[in-house]
Amino acid sequence: MNEVMNISPAVEESTATGETSRTKARRWPGMSVVGALFIVLALLPLGISGSYYMHVLILTFVYVAIASSWRVVSISGQFNIAIGAFMGIGAYAAAIPSVWLHWPPWVTIPLGAVAATILGAALAFPFARLRTIYYAMGTLFLGYVVINLITAGGKTTGMSTGLGGVQPLFGDRRYYYYLTLGLMIVSMFSMYRFEFSRIGVRMKAVSQSHQVAASVGIGERRNRILAVAFGSFFAGLMGAVYCHYQGVASPSSYGLGATLWIIMYVLVGGINSFWGPAVGVGILMVIPEFFFRDLKGDLPYVTAAILLIIAFTMPEGIVGLLKLARDRVFARLRRKEVDLDASGG
Amino acid sequence: MLLEVEHLTKNFGGLSAVNDFDIQVAEGEIVGLIGPNGAGKSTVFNLITGVLPVTSGRVMFDGCDITRRQPEQVARLGIGRTFQLNPLFHEFTVLENVTSSFELHPYSSLFDIFFSTRKYRRNEAFIQEKAHEILELVGLSEEADELAKNLAHGHQKMLGVARALATKPRLLLLDEPLAGMNPGEIKYSLDAIRDMRANGMTVLIVEHNMQILSLCDRVVVIGFGKKITEGLPGEVRANAEVISAYFGADYVC
Ligand SMILES: Nc1ncnc2c1ncn2[C@@H]1O[C@H](COP(=O)(O)OP(=O)(O)OP(=O)(O)O)[C@@H](O)[C@H]1O
Ligand SMILES: [Mg+2]
Repeated sequence: MNEVMNISPAVEESTATGETSRTKARRWPGMSVVGALFIVLALLPLGISGSYYMHVLILTFVYVAIASSWRVVSISGQFNIAIGAFMGIGAYAAAIPSVWLHWPPWVTIPLGAVAATILGAALAFPFARLRTIYYAMGTLFLGYVVINLITAGGKTTGMSTGLGGVQPLFGDRRYYYYLTLGLMIVSMFSMYRFEFSRIGVRMKAVSQSHQVAASVGIGERRNRILAVAFGSFFAGLMGAVYCHYQGVASPSSYGLGATLWIIMYVLVGGINSFWGPAVGVGILMVIPEFFFRDLKGDLPYVTAAILLIIAFTMPEGIVGLLKLARDRVFARLRRKEVDLDASGG
Repeated sequence: MLLEVEHLTKNFGGLSAVNDFDIQVAEGEIVGLIGPNGAGKSTVFNLITGVLPVTSGRVMFDGCDITRRQPEQVARLGIGRTFQLNPLFHEFTVLENVTSSFELHPYSSLFDIFFSTRKYRRNEAFIQEKAHEILELVGLSEEADELAKNLAHGHQKMLGVARALATKPRLLLLDEPLAGMNPGEIKYSLDAIRDMRANGMTVLIVEHNMQILSLCDRVVVIGFGKKITEGLPGEVRANAEVISAYFGADYVC
C-alpha cells in the first residue's frame, strides 16, 4: 500500500483529467462545430448590413457569456437567483465613474468586472452556509436588496429611471460586435478550462457530497466562494460592456425578470451541458428576433410553453437531445463496423 | 502516539453521546473500537475529523492540536476516513471517485490547473496511474468506468476505502467497513486490511463484526459514550461475556 503511494509524480504523459480518448470521442463533433461557428460569426459583419441584426447578435454574445457564467456556478450546486444583480453591479460600477468622474471605458469596464468579482466573493462567504432551496431563496432576496440599493442611490445612480450618459466605447456598432464576440470567446474558453479541469472536478464533488469532499481535502466553502467569484467576473464584465454600449444603466434590466430569463436560457439549452446556455440563448433570443418579431409581446407565454415541453420531453435540454442523437448515430456506426468485421473476417 | 484523544465529550442537547472518552493510536498500529448501537463510535470519528464540533476535550494528531480544525484541514493533515452510511460521489465513475480524491498528493495550484502547466499535466497523469493501482488493490479495476451509483453495495464499500486511501492518509478511520457485505466480500476486505497492516498503515476500525478482532493489535470498548475496557483482542473477547451481560447479548459476535 505505502509503496504504491510513495512514488513521486515523474511520469510524463499527455492525458490529463477528463482527457481520455473516450471523453474526446464523446465530445465529437462539438468542438469542430463550435470552431466553424466562431469563424462564421467573425466573418458575418462583412455580410450583414442591417444594424438591427448586428444589435441582436451583440445582445446574444453578451447573454451567452452571462448564461454560461450562471451555469458554471451551478456545477458547484449553487443556483444563484441574483445573477441579474451581479450584472447590475458590474454595470453601475462602470457607469458611475464613467458618468460622474469621466473615467475612460477601458478603466471602468475592468472595474465593473472586478467589483462584481469582489462583491460576489464577499457575499458568497455567508451564503456558503446555505444549500439547495435555502441558497436559492437567500440569493433571491440578495438580488432584491441590490436593486433596491441601486434605486435608493439618489442622483449618483439615477434612481429608478437609470443612469444615462455613459460614455460610448466606439462610434461604429461593428466594433462592439467584435468586442463582445471576442469577450464571449475568451469567457467561454476560461469557463471551459474551469469546468473541464481539476477545478471543475472539485466543484462537482462539492455539489454531490460536501461531506465526502471534505473528507478528501476538498473544502466546500472555499470552492463555492471561488465558483461565485469566478462566475460573477463574467456577469460583471458583460454587464459593464453592455451598459457602455447602451449608454445607460437602468435597474429594471438587472432585476428578477432578467435573472429568470437567464435561467430559462440555461434550462432550455441544457443545464448539464457546457454549450447548453449558448444554445438556449440562440433559440430564445436569436430565432424570435430574426423570424418571429411580431410575436415579441407573447414571448413569455411562448417561452413558458417551450420550457414545459422541454421539461416533459427532454429534461437534459436541447443539447441533451442532440447528444442522444449523436450517441445513437455512433452506436449504429459501431454496430455496422462490427457487422463488417464479422462478415469480412 | 500518532493520535491522542483526551477527555473527549460531545453533548447533543441533553444527550451525552461521547463522555470523557480517551483513546490512543500509535504509528503502525491497528486498533479496534467496538460497542453496541448508539454507543458513540461514529460520533468519535466525526469529532476527530472535525465534522462535528467538540463540546470539550482535545484531539492531538502527530503532536499537533487538531480539535477545532475543519474536516478538509484534517484530511490535509493526513487522516483519511470512510463513513458508516458510505456516501460516494454518485454521479462520478468509480475511477473519478478515486482521482477526485487525489487532492493533496500531488497538489496542483489553481494557477497550474487553469493554465494546464506542465506540472499539472504531470500530476494528473500520475493520478490516473495511481488511481488504477488503488482500484486494483481493492479489486475494482473491472468497474473503473462504471458510475459509482450503479455498483453493488459491497463494491461501493470498497470504493469508499479506495477513496480514503487516495488521500494517502497517515491514519485511516474505517466506520463499519464490513457492514452489509457478503462472506466473500468480507474475506476480501479482511485480506485488504491485513495488507494495509503489513505495509505499516495505521488504522482505527469501528466494527460490529468480531472477525475484525483477529486483525487488531488492541481493542477499545465503548458504551454510552464512555470507555468500558481496553486490551488485547483475546482479553476483550474473554471479557465479552461481562460486556454482553452489561449491554444485552446481541451486540457481540
Ligand atoms: N447529529 C446528531 N444529533 C443528535 N444526536 C445524535 C447525532 N449524532 C448521533 N447522535 C446520537 O448520539 C448517540 C451516538 O451515536 P453514534 O452514531 O455515534 O453511535 P454508534 O456507536 O456509531 O452506533 P451504530 O453502531 O449504530 O453506528 C446516539 O444516541 C445517536 O442517536
Ligand atoms: Mg455508527
